[in-house]
Amino acid sequence: MKTRDEAPRTEEEKLFSGILWLNAKALGLVLGLLFGLIIFIATNWLVIKGGRSVGLHLQLLSQYFIGYRVSFVGSFIGFAYGFAVGTLTGAFTGWIYNKIAAFRA
Amino acid sequence: MRQESVVIIGAGPAGLTAAHECIKQGMRPIVLEKADKVGGIARTETYKGYHFDIGGHRFLSRINNINRFWQEMLGEDFLKVSRMSRIYYEGRFFNYPLDFFNASFNLGLTESLLILLSYFRAQFWPYPEEETFEQWVSNRFGRRLYQTFFQTYTEKVWGIPCHKIRADWAAQRIKGLSLVVAVSNALLGVQQAKSLVGEFYYPRKGPGMMWERFRDAIEAGGGQVRRNWEAISLKHENGRVASVTCIQGKKTEEIPVGHLVSSMPVSRLVAMLEPKVSDKALEAARRLSYRAFIIVVLIVDKEDLFPDQWIYVHSPEVRVGRIQNFKNWSATMVPDPKKTSIGMEYFCNEGDRIWTMSDEELIDLAAGELSEVGLAKTHDVIDGVVVRQPKAYPIYDDEYEGQMTVIRNSLKTIENLQTIGRNGMHRYNNMDHSMQTGILAVENIMGAEHNLWEVNEEERYLEEDKQAKVGRVVSEKVLARAFARMDKLAFATAVGSVSGLLLFLATMWLVIKGGHAVGRNLQLLSQYFAGYTVTVKGAFIAFTYSFVWGFLFGWLLAYLRNLFLALYIYGVKRKAELLSLKDFFDHL
Repeated sequence: MKTRDEAPRTEEEKLFSGILWLNAKALGLVLGLLFGLIIFIATNWLVIKGGRSVGLHLQLLSQYFIGYRVSFVGSFIGFAYGFAVGTLTGAFTGWIYNKIAAFRA
Repeated sequence: MRQESVVIIGAGPAGLTAAHECIKQGMRPIVLEKADKVGGIARTETYKGYHFDIGGHRFLSRINNINRFWQEMLGEDFLKVSRMSRIYYEGRFFNYPLDFFNASFNLGLTESLLILLSYFRAQFWPYPEEETFEQWVSNRFGRRLYQTFFQTYTEKVWGIPCHKIRADWAAQRIKGLSLVVAVSNALLGVQQAKSLVGEFYYPRKGPGMMWERFRDAIEAGGGQVRRNWEAISLKHENGRVASVTCIQGKKTEEIPVGHLVSSMPVSRLVAMLEPKVSDKALEAARRLSYRAFIIVVLIVDKEDLFPDQWIYVHSPEVRVGRIQNFKNWSATMVPDPKKTSIGMEYFCNEGDRIWTMSDEELIDLAAGELSEVGLAKTHDVIDGVVVRQPKAYPIYDDEYEGQMTVIRNSLKTIENLQTIGRNGMHRYNNMDHSMQTGILAVENIMGAEHNLWEVNEEERYLEEDKQAKVGRVVSEKVLARAFARMDKLAFATAVGSVSGLLLFLATMWLVIKGGHAVGRNLQLLSQYFAGYTVTVKGAFIAFTYSFVWGFLFGWLLAYLRNLFLALYIYGVKRKAELLSLKDFFDHL
């Protein structure tokens, strides 16, 4: 006996039966670029704005990103660090997700 | 020239296409046709110079090769026609394909509102089971709309109550409701089906003109199209058809067979095999059922009656199912432009009351009903003719699938026999579908290995050309990947773990670095994470907090992503279903 739920199941199964797999490298790259660009833009924004003490709070990033400072050159250093952290974060998230999803599947 | 002796039974679209394909491959086929005309149910009949079509055959296909084939065959005699058709119901004419505003205006405000309410009721409280056509349609469009537009016409066409027609059949016929197709159309903006609704092609002198051109091409290529020759027996031995015996009047001839391609009703084919096949197969063939069709052509002494090519008649007060106006298909269908020929179509069963009525009675009935629907006066009807078409439509009843399985298993033991076309395969194929089976059958003779039965079950094979088919398969895969569910728990755990780890490392880094005032700024997190400090112990507390918040955030993100995709798909499907309502009856 077919029910309303069962009737379209074959069609909907085509779309819903699969589990989404994350491409860890792609996710890493995307997050890397995103993090890097955020720091790059945030730094340059403060540099362009200028003022008496430029980027007092953003400068705190140098606690983690050695060599980083709120300057034009620093924005490239910040981009490199942000890219690295973002890439690792994204790739690791994707890797853990895929492992758990595979285990559960 | 290849010396394969190919015999084809039936000179309908499938048989003639197969024969034409044989000619292209250098063979000289013999086509046996029982009737005096080619074209099968897609032939053109003539009465006193009036040409008429047995059912109204639009030439439109999604198979590019078939479209090209038709164009090449007829050239300028292949007319492009803008479609005009309506529904007659309760004394009013509704635009068809259905138009929301026109339908609402004709139905009136109260009825429109009731239909709308019934539609929403069906969305929230559908039939829990969907076994019948009635339930299938009611669940999609609401019970009131089903009763208004679907019930009477469907029952006229098939002669059985809608609650006895299987839901599978509706789903199979209404292909626009395929979820995958609907989603890919929505994403890619493909509206191919829509473009097919508004216009079609038609041969200048009716569909028979196409099949006469096919016949001419076959005969010019050395093949034979023998009209008035009826196959009466097929001898088979050692798993092969050896010969076919056919008659024309008192003449009998036995033709040796290398390959036999049959488009005659499969029930007759099975009964014709000598020695007889199993009793089970014979019984299955005997139990296949068909719907018959009568067209009563009325010559009306009026120049213009109505602008439509055809009108669906839903009103139960009259028995006519469809009314054709042949001069609106092509002006040359009538010899005198001051007169009009109208085809009154009656769906019936062989031997029933309407089938056994005399021609005079049928003409009187048709003239009376034409007057009753208000399209002409009875006294304007000056002449008429009746054509009865047995076995016009294979019926998909509860038993047919089981019977066809038995028959197929029996026929597959005969290696040089293939069945094609609507009646040959007991499938409700359109012309293009039938032609495609003919082409594939000849490719099999040339060494290909198409399983025609399988191909025919896989409807999309026939619906689209190869390029579209490849595109569809690819898009199905891509869609399946794009719309796959995100595992909420896995994503939540991954986001939680990574965010927990990041904060753990951030805290530990500052602890290891040490200094005068360790992590004064990071310490501000304790505003939210009660008990957090920039210490080794605090790093673990930070990990826990961050994991929990990351987990919740990840789970919510995955949940919302899945939810919005599901809502999107649901919306697309509902929209496709409502759009399919517009031209629903073209599929019946």
